[in-house]
Amino acid sequence: MKSVYALYSNGDAAQRAVNSLRSAGYADHDITVISAAPMEEYEFSHIGHHSFQWYIACGGALLGLLFSTWLTTFAEKDWPIDVGNMPIVAWYPNLIVIFEMTMLGAILSTVVTLIITAGLGRRVPKLYDPEVTNGKILVGIAQPKDTSGADVERALLAAPGAQVRTV
Amino acid sequence: MSTSGDRLAADLLRPLNRTGALWYVFVAFLGTIVACGLFAWFFQMWRGFGLTGIRWPVYWGFLITDFVFWIGISHAGTLISAILRLVNAGWRRPVTRCAEVITAFALMIGGLFPIIHLGKPWLFFWLMPYPNQRLIWPNFRSPLVWDFFAISTYLTGSLLFLFLPMIPDFALVRDRTTGVKRTIYGALALGWRGTTHQWHRLETAMQIMAIAIIPVAVSVHTIVSFDFSMAPVPMWHSTIFGPYFVAGAIFSGIAGLIIAMATLRKVLHLQDYLQDIHFENLGKLLLTMSLLWGYFTFNERLTTWYGNGTAEINTFRVTQSGTFSPLFWTMVLVNFVLPVIILSIRRLRTVTGCVIASIGVVIGMWLERYLIVVPSLAHKYLPYSWGTYSPRPTEIVITAATFAAMTLLYTLFAKFVPIISIWEMRAGERPEEDLAAVSEQRLGESHA
Amino acid sequence: MAHRWGMAVDLDRCTGCEACVTACRAENNIPTVGDLQASRGRAIHWIRVERYFEGEFPDVKVNYRPVMCQQCDAAPCEPVCPTYASHHNDEGLNAQVYNRCIGTRYCANACPYNVRFFDFFNPVWEKPMHLQLNPDVSLREVGVMEKCTFCVQRIAAGKDAAAADKREVKDGDIKPACVQGCPSKALVFGDLNDPESEVSRLAESPRGTKLLEDLGTAPKVTYLQGVEHA
Repeated sequence: MKSVYALYSNGDAAQRAVNSLRSAGYADHDITVISAAPMEEYEFSHIGHHSFQWYIACGGALLGLLFSTWLTTFAEKDWPIDVGNMPIVAWYPNLIVIFEMTMLGAILSTVVTLIITAGLGRRVPKLYDPEVTNGKILVGIAQPKDTSGADVERALLAAPGAQVRTV
Repeated sequence: MSTSGDRLAADLLRPLNRTGALWYVFVAFLGTIVACGLFAWFFQMWRGFGLTGIRWPVYWGFLITDFVFWIGISHAGTLISAILRLVNAGWRRPVTRCAEVITAFALMIGGLFPIIHLGKPWLFFWLMPYPNQRLIWPNFRSPLVWDFFAISTYLTGSLLFLFLPMIPDFALVRDRTTGVKRTIYGALALGWRGTTHQWHRLETAMQIMAIAIIPVAVSVHTIVSFDFSMAPVPMWHSTIFGPYFVAGAIFSGIAGLIIAMATLRKVLHLQDYLQDIHFENLGKLLLTMSLLWGYFTFNERLTTWYGNGTAEINTFRVTQSGTFSPLFWTMVLVNFVLPVIILSIRRLRTVTGCVIASIGVVIGMWLERYLIVVPSLAHKYLPYSWGTYSPRPTEIVITAATFAAMTLLYTLFAKFVPIISIWEMRAGERPEEDLAAVSEQRLGESHA
Repeated sequence: MAHRWGMAVDLDRCTGCEACVTACRAENNIPTVGDLQASRGRAIHWIRVERYFEGEFPDVKVNYRPVMCQQCDAAPCEPVCPTYASHHNDEGLNAQVYNRCIGTRYCANACPYNVRFFDFFNPVWEKPMHLQLNPDVSLREVGVMEKCTFCVQRIAAGKDAAAADKREVKDGDIKPACVQGCPSKALVFGDLNDPESEVSRLAESPRGTKLLEDLGTAPKVTYLQGVEHA
């Protein structure tokens, strides 16, 4: 698979490159922008902004809550041992365990979601350049419509200071 | 941006690339102390718990003091870093990682103590709820089981909270090294590229984690306080213990953080990153916590004194004016008088001043925990069963070894991971208000 | 009906002779730790005779108070144990399961009476002391807590004997070692669920108090003491 990208030395140029790729008919989800730090002050950084992470975290918390509620009550009923004249299913202490497991559910589901949705734990895809870590901003297309990538190159060169590369 | 970014990366990656002979000597020195501590522990397991100074009726001593102390120190990092992240305090950027590391290591060390202090440490896993051939579950009504859940949640959360923002920095190291290093850091970087998509997911995840970890941190030290306040022991059985412990934990945690930051600044020459303003801010925070600690201690003491319960007043007297009074007044001096004086006078609130106050606080907070654990147990209800306690070599060696272990782990971490988050520093470098206007123009252009 | 074992201690009869302490040691295989360890606070006494002095020398009166596990109904030692080593059994006893104990010593801290003891080392009985070990009582290894059981082995034996004779357990059938050994009959043991038993009567006595009653631990040991009108 062929990818075409260009490196820019500042956010303004990267923004222009993104805009001109859009004019060339590429949708936001086709455009890859890579930077060494989040650049929230630029519009391009909002590509892929939509996410369900908050809902999934809440779902994980709920799962933790239900599991620990079941675990504590089940374990206490499974071996109904009298201690200190307390009820067998004692809610006050159970709430503490339930709270911790709820939070653990939220934390773990957040991390799992991050790993899956951010595509972590896989090999670094071709469309990457170590120059990014020196502060360059990469704008590129993983699968150009025109297989030669000429259209992408043209669009990328529209922004100032572009160093176009193909892999 | 690229030039300043380069200097930043060069400064912060320097410890990863260069190793002096002194570093090896230092690590070997600390490693020896840690090895002594491990030896003391194994020797104690082999010969019996009687090697410690624990005796009837003071069944908890140094080791539980260390437990509460280290769990307290762990409240520096994740909690403070999470709060600063949520309020988006700009000055947090160089501080967060060196704080979060303290949490991770202090929790690992603190979490070991409940195991070390067991009569049968090899059976600690009986606290875990899993279907087992003993056909029995742990007792969810026991504060020690709450401890197990709280500490493991907090440790898991803190490690992930520390690890997630390290991923982009691992990617940076990956791209700048070769050979084995590249493979290792590449594996740790999990294939991070830094696409807008990834950045957004990471930042959202960090926000969720920050929100989740704050109540967990508060609950952890509250539950540690429950270990004491759930037992009908004079001056333990108190409702103030939850907040008192949390405040004390944050207090000692900030002190630990200041000491760690000052050391890093000196050793790694990070004056440009860990600036005076950071110590100034943390110093103010330490001052606040010192006042809060004084307030809680006063509350606790006054209520006990007026309550005049037969058993409680004995514990009260023995700490206030009895055998434990030298420790008690030292604690008041180094936890309250000294920090308040040093930190409220602007001229003294320098890096050195903050460090002196912090060292005092660390000592004072250790004493505070000792004074909670021992005098109460030694003076329970029946005067016939009053007792004394003094530590014996194994406990002292183990205690000393944990301080060495903390320093060792921190030294190793600072050697292999950029101790200041490079990408967060970069993100903080751009003056955002200037660019906001530009960004609006671009937005208009893109939608045209 | 289930039993509910209790004890009464008549402090006016107690002479402080410590026969109960000796009897308990012999019956329950309580390890002797030696003088060095005893001086370090590792001595184990499931029952002890507390000695308190009243008045100024030479006009001194000595009070004795035998203290053993009070077998509380709302025992603070039980809920704090993470492994259920310390729990309540259906005859109202605070049972201690040595094999479940992992040695957190939390129960001992929570106990207001300080009647729980930790095994700091593996117990040793030098010859010929090992010959006097009681086969009915398990030995405790290093790292666990132990305490008065109300001689649970004697309770079991008493119930077995009664069952063999096809009868109910009679009051006075079962005597823990301390009760049996007490020359002044200061200690009385029995079933609190049997209203006719001696211990039930003594528990209702106006001379009776519970030790540290205000803590709400609901002990099953009653201390009897006449009020002196000087």
